Amino acid sequence: MDPEKVIVCRCEDVLLSDVLRAIEKGYRDLESIKRLLRVGMGSCQGRHCLSIIARVLAKATSLRIDELNYPPSRPPLMPIQLKYFVSDEDEE
Amino acid sequence: MKMKSDILIVGGGSTGLMISYYLLKKGVRSTIIERKYPGSGNTYKCATGIRASFTSREHIALMKRAIELWSELRDELGVFYERSGYLWLLSREEDLKMFKTYVSFQNELGVPTKVIDLSEVKRLAPTIVTKDLLAAVYDPLAGKASPFDLILRSWQLLVEKGCKVLTGVEVKKILLNKNGVLGVETSAGSIESSTVVLATAYDTVKLLEPLNISIPIKPVPKHAFITEAYRDLFKPLIIDWTTSSYIVQTPHGNFLVGSEISEKYSDKPLSKLKFLHKASKVWVKYFPWMKEVYLLRYWTGYYDMTPDHHPIIGPLDDLEGLYIAAGFSGHGFMMSPSVGEIMADWIIEGRPRVSEALSLSVSRFRKGELIKEVAVFG
Repeated sequence: MDPEKVIVCRCEDVLLSDVLRAIEKGYRDLESIKRLLRVGMGSCQGRHCLSIIARVLAKATSLRIDELNYPPSRPPLMPIQLKYFVSDEDEE
Repeated sequence: MKMKSDILIVGGGSTGLMISYYLLKKGVRSTIIERKYPGSGNTYKCATGIRASFTSREHIALMKRAIELWSELRDELGVFYERSGYLWLLSREEDLKMFKTYVSFQNELGVPTKVIDLSEVKRLAPTIVTKDLLAAVYDPLAGKASPFDLILRSWQLLVEKGCKVLTGVEVKKILLNKNGVLGVETSAGSIESSTVVLATAYDTVKLLEPLNISIPIKPVPKHAFITEAYRDLFKPLIIDWTTSSYIVQTPHGNFLVGSEISEKYSDKPLSKLKFLHKASKVWVKYFPWMKEVYLLRYWTGYYDMTPDHHPIIGPLDDLEGLYIAAGFSGHGFMMSPSVGEIMADWIIEGRPRVSEALSLSVSRFRKGELIKEVAVFG
C-alpha cells in the first residue's frame, strides 16, 4: 500500500503520507493533526476520516485511542442548509 | 516526575505560547504546561479577528503594537495574517452618532477608522443587501489571522529551540512559601520554578482561590458556527451592530458566524437552537444566497470577562514570582503577540515597553482604578 496513493480524508484530499509525515514531525494527538492537515474539517466532519487516522496514529505511537484527543462530535448531525433556520414558525 | 524550570507558563493557548516566544527572543527558554493540547482552551474557538479600533487608550496601544507584531509573525513563522479590514454595519441614527465619536477618538490615536456610505459597503462586500442600512464604519488596519497557524507554528519553533511544551499535564496547585513562588504541583508530579505565569483564562480564578487571592474574571458563554467553503466573497470581518452578530470568511473559504444570545455566567456553555435561528436570520437577510449554504459545525466557548472588559496583565504585586495574563474579555487571540512581548518585558526587565500596560495590573480592581472607555464596543 503506497501511502502517497491512499486517501485518508476525502473531503479535504489528505493522503496517508501526509498523516505519516505529521506523526514523524512529532504530532501525537488528533486535535492538532486536524488543525495541521484539515482532516475532519470538511462535510463529513470526521465521521469517515478520523477513525482511520486514529488507527494510524495509535499504531505508530503505541498510544491508546482514548489518549489521542479524539475530536468531539458537535451539532448538526449532518450538514444542513441555513434556510431551515430562517422561517419564523420554528423559532424557540 | 520532578523537574526544574526557570520560567513556567501555565496554559498553552495563544497567550502562553506568545509569552514563551517573546521570552525566547530575549534568549530565555521557558516551560509551558498545557492541560489538553495547545490551543484547546479559547484560541481554537475564537472568531480570528484582529483590530486596534477600540475605545480605550490601553486597548488601542496594546493592539497597535500587536498589529505590528502580527506582520512579523507572518514573516517569521508563516502564520496566515491579512489586513483585510473590519466593517461595522449600522442601521440606527443613534448608533451612527455614537460611532462618529469612536472614529474621532480612534483617529486621534492613529487608528484609521472612517464612516463610509452604502456604495462603499457594496464595494467591500459585493453581494450584500444594504436596504436596512444607514451607513457603516470601516477599519482598514484591522484584519484576521489563523489561530491554527499561530499555535502549531509557534509550538513547533519553541520545541525546536529547546523550550518544553508539556501536553496533557494539569496544574493542580501553585506552591508557595512566605517569600514567593516555589513551583507547581501537576498531574505528572511537581515542578520547581521561581517564576510562574498564569495564562489560564477563567481557570486562573480556580488556581488562585486556594491562595486566598480573588481575581474578578467571569465566564460568559459564546456561540459560533462554520459553513462549507466558498470562493472569496468578501475580505473584511463584518459586524451587524444592531444584532451583535459577525461573519468572517476563513482563508480556506468557510464562513465563520457568531451572534449574541442572552446568557448567564458559565464556563460550560450549552448548544442552543435559538442561536442557530438568530445567526442564520441575520446573515441570510444581508446575503440571501446564504440560505443555500450548508452549516457544518456549531461550537461554544466563553469570554473570560473582567469588570472593565480589559485584561489582567503583569505581576501580582504581593507575591514574588507570580504573574497573570488572563481576563481578555474576548480579545485574547488578537492581543497575544503584544501581551507575549509585554509579559516577557515584565519578567526579564521588570517593566513593560508599552507604558499603557502598567494600568492593567490586577491591583486596579482593589484600588478602584478601572479602565475608562469612551463606551463599550465590540
